[in-house]
Amino acid sequence: MAEKQVVIDVGDGAALPRRHDRGLFSAWWISLIGALGIIAYLCISRPDPYWRVLKFLPDGIVVTFQVTILSILLALVLGLFTGLGRISKNRVINLIASTYVEVVRGIPLLVQLFYIYFALGQVFANLPDSNALFIFLKNMPPLVAAVIAMGICYGAYMGEVFRAGIQSIDHGQTEAARSLGFNRAQTMFYVILPQAWRTILPPVGNEFIALLKDSSLVSILAVSDILRRGREFASVTFNYFETYTMVALVYLVITLLLSKIVSTMEERLNYYERR
Amino acid sequence: MLKRFLLTGLLLAAMTSTAWAQRTITFASDCTWPPMEMISEDRECVGFGPDLVNAMAKAGEFEAVIQNTAWDGIFAGLASGRYNAISSSVSITEERKNAMDFSDPYFEVKQGVVVRDGSDIKTEADLAGKTLGAQIGTTGYFAAMRIAGNNAKSYDEVGLAITDLANGRLDAVIADDAVAADYALTNENFSKNLNLAFLIEPDEPEYLGFAVKKGDTETLELINNALAAVKASGEYDQIFKKWFGGE
Repeated sequence: MAEKQVVIDVGDGAALPRRHDRGLFSAWWISLIGALGIIAYLCISRPDPYWRVLKFLPDGIVVTFQVTILSILLALVLGLFTGLGRISKNRVINLIASTYVEVVRGIPLLVQLFYIYFALGQVFANLPDSNALFIFLKNMPPLVAAVIAMGICYGAYMGEVFRAGIQSIDHGQTEAARSLGFNRAQTMFYVILPQAWRTILPPVGNEFIALLKDSSLVSILAVSDILRRGREFASVTFNYFETYTMVALVYLVITLLLSKIVSTMEERLNYYERR
Repeated sequence: MLKRFLLTGLLLAAMTSTAWAQRTITFASDCTWPPMEMISEDRECVGFGPDLVNAMAKAGEFEAVIQNTAWDGIFAGLASGRYNAISSSVSITEERKNAMDFSDPYFEVKQGVVVRDGSDIKTEADLAGKTLGAQIGTTGYFAAMRIAGNNAKSYDEVGLAITDLANGRLDAVIADDAVAADYALTNENFSKNLNLAFLIEPDEPEYLGFAVKKGDTETLELINNALAAVKASGEYDQIFKKWFGGE
């Protein structure tokens, strides 16, 4: 006996605006091709400063990527826990998460970098070599300090994004899940977060790009990222205009690529428009 | 109220009118280079450099304004005309001569190597393979790059490099000898555990000079004449004695 098929018509879903940045004439393509074109033109027409600067930058690009990716991972973890903590009914957890957000958001990233690397470094330097943690703290490489500072800073911002995303899901979803017998954690991880992720992703993508650009601040810790490499080049050759033009273009290309990754992910998650 | 305001204005104008005929030379200085130039507790730029500039202004009959400027980009500011000259312990090098003009030398420097107490670094050969720090764009950093290559780390200020050395993250810091000695021997925070290991013997002597924009002969002449006058009057020696003792 053939099973009776139940067809549920879900309609077209919410009416989302169509994206207009498709095809070669989108702002994204114009920026990317423009930036790459200018880089290529400059390197070919005046290889002396421009190509030399570009050849000087690659290890800086690697360091910038390292700092950015590690910081993003740390910030995502911190952000998720902070976001959950901020909506927690447990007073203590809520208070800890809220205090973290308030304190970190109120201190500029540059000051946090100085504090974690130079100020705490002075404290760590006086620790005895009694255990592995102390020895690690004493010899903390600047890259680690940079990642910790940036992760902590952006974790606070991400926490607010997560909180807003989670709170944007209708309370009926929670009620429905709980009435089906899910416990709190199951409700959060199987019902709420998968839906919230769609709301969260665009602002999180923005934070990624902001973080990548802010990673130029770590050059203050003698981390040789793109900006410091450029400054080192300029300090020897005095070609300030050429150097910083190239540095700006390289950052632009990288952030454009990152923004494409983020928008692709957004589209994948956009069930309604995909149809 | 308005009357008083106007009167004050007139008085000020009368007082400064004599100075109007004088030329004002704005000097840029990165005041993070003790004892050559540093910020005092009164938040003023003091040190050997500012004293010399002020003495020169008196002798050369021009007005000197010292503008505290970050080292990174100090040469870019000169090229774009944000100030007339740099009085910031700038070593005269061939590369820099291509980008700017220099006054007569006013100071001889060597590069000093600062290490932690008990360090086994005694000569330049011991520096091989070590992690060295210096301020970006200084001759100390160029020396560090020459010796350590990729192990040379550049800092925005020499004080940050010294902090990292004291905290154990660097093996040595290279800076002008006067600065190195100041941090290692007299600075109350660092002299306890830092030491001036040795001076790097240069191939040819290194001198400090005042930098001006390329082709700015007018300012250069004023500075050179004033410097010669200060040296001839013996005032230079007094300033030297004030900052570096009675050698």
